[in-house]
Amino acid sequence: MDDDDDGPRSDLSTAPDGILATRASHGDTEAFDELLHRHTPIVRAFVYRIVGTLAETDDVVQEAFLTAWRQLTTLRDPDAVRAWLMKIASREAYAHVKKRRPHATLDGFDRAADPHLLPEATAIRNAQLNALSAALDTLPDAQRRCWLLREVGSLSYTEIAEEMNLPVSTVRGHLARARASITIRMEGWR
Amino acid sequence: MTDPSAHRLDCGKTVDEISDYLEAGRTPFDPDIETCPECLNTLDALSRAGRLSRELLDADARALPEPSAGWFEGVMTAVRAEMRAGRSIPISHPDPRVDASVTEGAVHALIRATGDRVRGVYVGRSEIIGDVEQPGAPISIGLTASVAWGVDIRAAADGVRTAVAAALATHTELDVRAIDVEIHDVHRPTPPEERS
Repeated sequence: MDDDDDGPRSDLSTAPDGILATRASHGDTEAFDELLHRHTPIVRAFVYRIVGTLAETDDVVQEAFLTAWRQLTTLRDPDAVRAWLMKIASREAYAHVKKRRPHATLDGFDRAADPHLLPEATAIRNAQLNALSAALDTLPDAQRRCWLLREVGSLSYTEIAEEMNLPVSTVRGHLARARASITIRMEGWR
Repeated sequence: MTDPSAHRLDCGKTVDEISDYLEAGRTPFDPDIETCPECLNTLDALSRAGRLSRELLDADARALPEPSAGWFEGVMTAVRAEMRAGRSIPISHPDPRVDASVTEGAVHALIRATGDRVRGVYVGRSEIIGDVEQPGAPISIGLTASVAWGVDIRAAADGVRTAVAAALATHTELDVRAIDVEIHDVHRPTPPEERS
């Protein structure tokens, strides 16, 4: 539960994201280090949903943060650095998946079999989350990607469309389907 | 497989329509949907799917074993290797055969560290304007900062200006004519809710 404060990080831990991103874009590696520590957990979880194994997740996330460092000067809204990191991570993750299996299928996920995740302790909530997790895994790739970018990355339809090279109307359709499928699988229409 | 979003509720609305309404932030107010129990149930279920997805990822984030200790260091080593040092600022040396200089990046780091030491202040962007590569050229410094709630903005800006002027005078030979401090932001004194 407690995130142990390792290392000689300065008191940047209370600095807002926007300040850290601005500083990092001007070459402040300590500010970038703080962003890295702050957002790695959620970015990893996001990438893990896409690539499915921890080893690959760590490689992809590392690559994503390096890309972020190189492209920081292009970040228009420093306050939105979290969503921007998600966008980069998603791009890296899907590039990775594509490289791995050129004929994309839905199998190859070992997450379901991964014993580390979601210990049964916090029962009720986890039952719901497990159902959702399973529902997410059965979505077609494009729908899952749209869904994750929208609901977890907080990207707008337009941003998702740019990111995935799809018309906005298609993104809208994917999201409506994803939302309906997930809801049906979780509880059915009442 | 049929498209689940095309599913039509008994009241006649499709799931797709309700999904759109939800995405639009339930505006403009649709009395048909807002007074139909079936629509409201669906609306509820659909919005729960979004909320739970964020929870799921947060739960994943907590449950995933941490990256190895070396992982963070690995990223930062690669980051530092690509650091942009900026221009080279000459420093005079008693021995004329010695070419001494400090990088622009190091001066920025000095400005940030100095400004941060003023209570409640975080320096954001900093800029060194003028021909720094030319000894004695007039230089001005521009910087933005964020100040914590409740801190006197004018006093904070003055504090930063004074501290940065002193630090630059001590550690560089720049002929600093002006230091412009622009307070861009106000931040909460504690970090935004990020943990647990």
